[in-house]
Amino acid sequence: MAEALLSNKNKKILKDGVWDTNPITYQVLGICSALAVTTQLKTALVMSFGLTFVTAMSNVVISLIRNYIPSQIRIIVQLTVVSALVITIDQLLRAYMFDVSKQLSVFVGLIITNCIVMGRLEAFAMGNPPWKSFLDGLGNGLGYSAVLVIIGIIREIFGSGTLLGYHVIPASFYANGYVNNGMMVLAPGAFFLLGVIVWVQRAISGYSES
Amino acid sequence: MANTNSTRYTFLFAVIVCVVSGVLLSAVSEGLRKQRELNEELEVKRNILKAVALKEPIPPKMKGEDILHVYESKIEELVIDAQGYVVEGRTPGQLTAKDGNLYPLYIYKEDGLVMAYAFPVFGQGLWSVLYGYLAVEADATTIRGITFYKHGETPGLGGEIEKEWFQNNFKGKKIYSLQEHRATPIIVVRGKAANFFKGEALEHHVDGITAATLTGNGVTGLLDRWIRVYDVYLSRLRKI
Repeated sequence: MAEALLSNKNKKILKDGVWDTNPITYQVLGICSALAVTTQLKTALVMSFGLTFVTAMSNVVISLIRNYIPSQIRIIVQLTVVSALVITIDQLLRAYMFDVSKQLSVFVGLIITNCIVMGRLEAFAMGNPPWKSFLDGLGNGLGYSAVLVIIGIIREIFGSGTLLGYHVIPASFYANGYVNNGMMVLAPGAFFLLGVIVWVQRAISGYSES
Repeated sequence: MANTNSTRYTFLFAVIVCVVSGVLLSAVSEGLRKQRELNEELEVKRNILKAVALKEPIPPKMKGEDILHVYESKIEELVIDAQGYVVEGRTPGQLTAKDGNLYPLYIYKEDGLVMAYAFPVFGQGLWSVLYGYLAVEADATTIRGITFYKHGETPGLGGEIEKEWFQNNFKGKKIYSLQEHRATPIIVVRGKAANFFKGEALEHHVDGITAATLTGNGVTGLLDRWIRVYDVYLSRLRKI
């Protein structure tokens, strides 16, 4: 019998990616991009959207052909599928949503090489049917997005005094000697934040490394 | 199913994957090329209009065809040679890689009066080539505006060169030194220019971007190069 599209088992696949096995805090994947694109909320959002889409779609494609992929060249095949997908999207954006593409194009390389995409293909899509793989990709994408957005918000507010480009720290603060925290703009700022987030998330979810 | 681990199958599979993704990507790229080129041309014209700082700036949501219309009515396109003389019968759009010694020049006129001269500037940043336009006032000395519209620098760091705050830094700076009577490059400094320079020197230095010193050096370098190229033409316009 066919399983319901959102059976409890499937919901768990989705939830695992977001919370229990969050790609950043649990699997510790995709750290590089989490540091690179989170100086502002906007770039973090664009990257989150791009990665969630690519992870979900490439999971589906790989899952569809999983039984035909020769195991010796599976990584290359996965990479080819991911790259083809990302470049196609990039080209479509360039043609029809030029303004968005100017934001996104810089991240294309980062998405292709993002460990989360490859990680999910290898760990999940190679052994599970398409719909489950889609949910797994979506869940992991959302889990990654949640962390990026949190870091992006904190870094932009304290590093630049803005949020999505709008000033949120009143001018009177600056007049009284408040200065933006320069470290937030640099990679170390993201490292510290990431550490705190991993700690908090793991404390709540009860995960500990054996 | 065939044995998916045999050498023959592996080769066959690899070839199929390559052909399928190759054909798909070529088809997508070719099919969308016209639209892409149109967007790129529009982007260039939009940036020339932005660099010359129109008296009535074009609204951000303006339609493509309206932008082209404004462009045609306000901007005069010229081509100059390495000696700074106008080359008759050529337009920037026709220039190809072979025309290494010819340079496009854009003149912004308002009611027949020259308001600004604009020219393309490009060069290596940290990770990528930066593309932009620099516009100077009718005095051929004071910067009226600058834009960077294409680059592959890190967003939030070197990528800040595309932001208003950075580009506004350049307004009012001089590309010609009255004391030394020669063209001077604009130097992107580390930190705030006003902390290091005063008086005339401040007119040739702009604020840098935190954590993007190398992109700033790239901007300094490319401006130096292109200001020298166009100074041959601009120097004849100066009334000093």
